[in-house]
Amino acid sequence: MLGLVLLIITGLSGTVAAEESPSSMGLSPVEFFILFLVISIFIGIVAVLAGVGGGVIFTPLMMGFTPIDGLIIRGTGLFVAMAGALVAARPFLRRGLANIRLLYFAAVPYSASAVTGALLAVYIKQTMGVTGEAFVRLSLGSLVILIAMLFIFAGGRIEYPEIRKVDRFTQRVGLAMSYWEESLGSVVQYQVTRSWLGLILFSGVGLVSGLFGLGAGWAMVPVLNLVMMAPLKVAAASSKVLIGIGDTAAIWPYVMQGTIFPLFAVPCMIGLIVGTIIGAKIMIRVKAGFVRYLIIGIMLVSGLRLIQQSLTMLGYI
Amino acid sequence: MQEIKGKFGPEFRPKPPLSGVVYGEIAYWIVLTGTVLSIIGVSMILTTNANYIDSTCLLNGLWGGDNPSAIWEKCAGTNPKGHWYLGKLNTGDGIAMLGIALACMAAVFGVWGSTFALFRDREYFFVVFAFVVALILTASALGIIHAGH
Repeated sequence: MLGLVLLIITGLSGTVAAEESPSSMGLSPVEFFILFLVISIFIGIVAVLAGVGGGVIFTPLMMGFTPIDGLIIRGTGLFVAMAGALVAARPFLRRGLANIRLLYFAAVPYSASAVTGALLAVYIKQTMGVTGEAFVRLSLGSLVILIAMLFIFAGGRIEYPEIRKVDRFTQRVGLAMSYWEESLGSVVQYQVTRSWLGLILFSGVGLVSGLFGLGAGWAMVPVLNLVMMAPLKVAAASSKVLIGIGDTAAIWPYVMQGTIFPLFAVPCMIGLIVGTIIGAKIMIRVKAGFVRYLIIGIMLVSGLRLIQQSLTMLGYI
Repeated sequence: MQEIKGKFGPEFRPKPPLSGVVYGEIAYWIVLTGTVLSIIGVSMILTTNANYIDSTCLLNGLWGGDNPSAIWEKCAGTNPKGHWYLGKLNTGDGIAMLGIALACMAAVFGVWGSTFALFRDREYFFVVFAFVVALILTASALGIIHAGH
């Protein structure tokens, strides 16, 4: 179904390109609203079933398969990722699943570098024109393929990582907390480690998120779970809350430059949130394995398409 | 990970930190209000003529691959930056953008509220982190951190 919708969009964009008349799009504002609402609902459903945030699929898919300007898509992608994360944060914090100490510790480098990434995106657009856009698409395409590879080859997560030694820096910071684990019927008290490495990695993740308008759960969960050794549930919950904070810092340079248009952003936001809710409900009845491969396929195709676009822009194709 | 043996039963359920709950509640309700406002605004865009940006022109610009500045020039006759919607609240675009901006402010207010809650809980070390984050978010939202024009 998603493929069909994509096909329609690609077909429409192809028609526009062929006739060289942007006014021949043929959709009324209401039809445009409904089309992007439906697409975003499907993105939301598929994303939840595959265990990723909608933002990481939204931006490469829209950039690869619609003619809409890259800066507008990245700003909108950041907005939908942020809105979804903010709505999802509440239950995680009420249950104490997201570690508030860890959150603020990570939010400093993450939000600082996310806002830097967003400023860089606007700067590239203003000063480098088509060449800048081509390099952004090339980098994003490569990154999306890398993320797809990560899903294929490094999908292993550890529910309760075993920590042999907590380094002195992390001990001094004091990030240890506890939460109530419903499935075990007991309190889980956990430590984290290598927080200094986490600081460095969060800076990189924030920069990528702000620059490309992606949600960053795909990178944040492994950093928290596999590097800092937080329990998987804590890592997932903390990452969701952190995306809401970091993307808020990054969204404003896009808003201030007038790159967010409500007629495009609102249906995408509503669609992704509704899709996420529907996806969560049908999750128990669907085999996640198939959807996971579908997502990997979508990401690989989007990544290759972005690279192809960038090479065309640079005159290599 | 060390699971604490012996702490079984709901009576040992740890209380979630107030700072987290405060952040979650503030962010949730503000983003929800923003979403409702933005839906009202978009409904106005789709059903009335009280618009700042010509919708058909906007769609043509979007589908034509125009950059944001070109779209603004073509469809609104101007290229506003910053919080342009505050002066256009009598239009669907203005209200919808106010809703979006409010949603984008949710974490800003949430982090400030959470910072005060951390202070109340005497978690002074983390107050510093939260305060720095709150400053970054506020500076970004107010346009103090900007890319220039």
